[in-house]
Amino acid sequence: MSLSYTQLLETNNLIQQNTDETYWLCLTRTVQESKLFPVSPYMILSYFMAFYRYPALLRKIETHMRAEEIGDRVRGRGIKCQNPAMGWGLPNFYLLGREYLISLGLIRPQDAVEDIIYVLDFWKRFQLAWHRNDAHLTNREFGHRAQILPERRLQIFHADLYDCAEGDPLHSAAQAFMAATSQYGFLVSCESRIALTNQGPYKLDDERELIVRDFMDLAEGDYPWLDGVAAEMPYNNLTVPMAVKGCHFHIMDDWGSFESQPEFKSHHMVGVGLYTSDCLTDSYVPVGMGSREELTATFNDLTARAKEATAKLWKRIAGWTRDQMIDAGAITYFGICKDIAHVAGCYDPADWILVDERAERLRPLLNDEYSNMSLWEILGPLSHPGQRTHDYQLMQHSNLPANTYSLIPYSILDDGDYTRTCGEMHPGITYLEPKADRYRTTRGVLGIAAYNEAVKSFTPRLNQPRFRFRCESWLKYHYDSPLAHEMYRIEQEDSRLLRDRGAGLRRADIEKLRK
Amino acid sequence: MTRLLSDTDKFGEECSTPVVEAFHLAVKDLVRRKFAASGKPWQEFVFGDAISRITREDFAAIDARLLAYGHRYVWSAVVSQRERPEAYTAAQGVEEAVGDFSFEHPEAVVLPVDSAGLEQRGVGDNVVKYDEDLVGIARYVRSSAQVLSYLEQGVPPGTIAIIDDSGGTLTAPILEQFKGVLCAGGTVRSHLGILTREYGIPCFMNARLSGIREGDTVRMECSATAKTAEHYQRGVEQTGRVWRVQA
Repeated sequence: MSLSYTQLLETNNLIQQNTDETYWLCLTRTVQESKLFPVSPYMILSYFMAFYRYPALLRKIETHMRAEEIGDRVRGRGIKCQNPAMGWGLPNFYLLGREYLISLGLIRPQDAVEDIIYVLDFWKRFQLAWHRNDAHLTNREFGHRAQILPERRLQIFHADLYDCAEGDPLHSAAQAFMAATSQYGFLVSCESRIALTNQGPYKLDDERELIVRDFMDLAEGDYPWLDGVAAEMPYNNLTVPMAVKGCHFHIMDDWGSFESQPEFKSHHMVGVGLYTSDCLTDSYVPVGMGSREELTATFNDLTARAKEATAKLWKRIAGWTRDQMIDAGAITYFGICKDIAHVAGCYDPADWILVDERAERLRPLLNDEYSNMSLWEILGPLSHPGQRTHDYQLMQHSNLPANTYSLIPYSILDDGDYTRTCGEMHPGITYLEPKADRYRTTRGVLGIAAYNEAVKSFTPRLNQPRFRFRCESWLKYHYDSPLAHEMYRIEQEDSRLLRDRGAGLRRADIEKLRK
Repeated sequence: MTRLLSDTDKFGEECSTPVVEAFHLAVKDLVRRKFAASGKPWQEFVFGDAISRITREDFAAIDARLLAYGHRYVWSAVVSQRERPEAYTAAQGVEEAVGDFSFEHPEAVVLPVDSAGLEQRGVGDNVVKYDEDLVGIARYVRSSAQVLSYLEQGVPPGTIAIIDDSGGTLTAPILEQFKGVLCAGGTVRSHLGILTREYGIPCFMNARLSGIREGDTVRMECSATAKTAEHYQRGVEQTGRVWRVQA
């Protein structure tokens, strides 16, 4: 591969976009420490893993499915291919690994240049496809919004919502479910927020907005530590469309977190639904949506299961060694984008749940103090020497003479002084118990070979080639065509109110049907 | 002497913290030595010999050298201190009985008892604004052993948990049972902040407290304005008060 000036310009722009947003996210969103997990040590280990493994893993995935096709496939399902997984985690974990290695003198900014270009290009193509309906690269670019879904899916979420009000059984059950499942998600993810995400907002009327809340990796699946303790979780992914009244979600960031004006409180929630999805569903599948009473009971049942699994998992984790905790956390972070391998039907546990030996050798550096302070320096004051730039610079948000991430020097186009790639996958190790070959899917519990095979032989109906490019811009002028009606009817098959209604309805029509 | 690219850096300066600087200098010295020993150009070394010849043992030796100088690491996860007590500073007020332990933050705002019997003992970043303030009993929760005890015996009613862990995992199985939370770290968008909001539990993050002891009756000014991302971005101080209620 010969490098071009244009490639480097574009890649450096993508690096810089992540610089700017990462600083803002870290400044406004989190200061994370845990007495239970060595969080900073596992985060840094995961960054090293990402630098050494992502290029090879992404190239492997693209031998099965292109990044933009994966983006198209996951647009209509609530799996871990959204934010923060793909919108932020994939590029930033890789770039943080690179920046750490630069700081340690182990690489230079012009090393593994083809890897950097490739990883960011993969990310860009995925993101543009996933964000196709709002035509942005990231939530940041959209002023911190994520309007991912097409009208046909939003109409179903809207139509099939059950209204609720604070104090009624459904409202209480839904609120308890979201709290308990969020708690469980943090524990499953070893103190990271990556089991949870939100997208939207979508406008229901002048007073109400809808956001879509996803809870992911809840059941026996990719994480060895859920073997057994999550056996009673019947769904790996759950999605809650939530209507609110009286507050506006003005920030939906690339970590999938929201902020609203006024601040969201439970009494603002006026409608809920519940769905599941995975790589083997056409779209979102209703869960307990037959009646208000059934949905209330379903939320209560899932809440009890989440609490039971939380207690079991907490006891398991409390007995872990430090190395086991670091492994689990690093695997969780590094594997933030693992679901793209599931979508492509090429998921191999050896790729995703082992610590690459090139990263593993650095573990002795990762005591709590070095990890906490070096992470603070690389994300807060940006005081690793490689991050500092000339004295006239005012970085976005921080006003510092610094960048979170080093840019690729253009001089390599003159002198050729660069390296192409960090190379192929190396073996990995783990201190954790071996992973059982059990993966909860919407087709039951499968072994990984059967799961991959099922995915490979399945194309969601709305991802068939004849529908793929029938986008919202096309729909605007062809809503009365047989093809448009067919698309809407496929999506509407499981809808309580919209089954067979077709493509002609507007938002006001949906609201009338709900009365 | 063999030089690395980063040895010529017009703008880079030392890292802010001594332990980070010490580790980075030591690793760079290691890389220089291994690079020189390889006899190869950097392009061949960086993903070749640098991988095979710079080993786990080399990095462990850097760790051992810093400890040999007498440095002890500040710990954040209890398991780190428990497994390598010789490498970390001592743990106090964590796994043993709380006794008279109290958080003593240098920036805690402390005022004398007022006419209503309220003695301000600190401030914190309010996660969610509620209509009324909250009164409860202060109880420190700092270790997994204590969480396990509460998990088995139940959290005493009316507990306002005082926590130095802004995460959502240490207290995961018992969080729902707290009446309120005062967390000594984090921001309102840290995991504990997110979870308390979901549960509807009043919570102050980044609580700067002084002199609150186990069993004290405390009042949280949950009616204070919540801190927002904009406040953080603009560096605006926006806090709620914490009082000890006199008997």
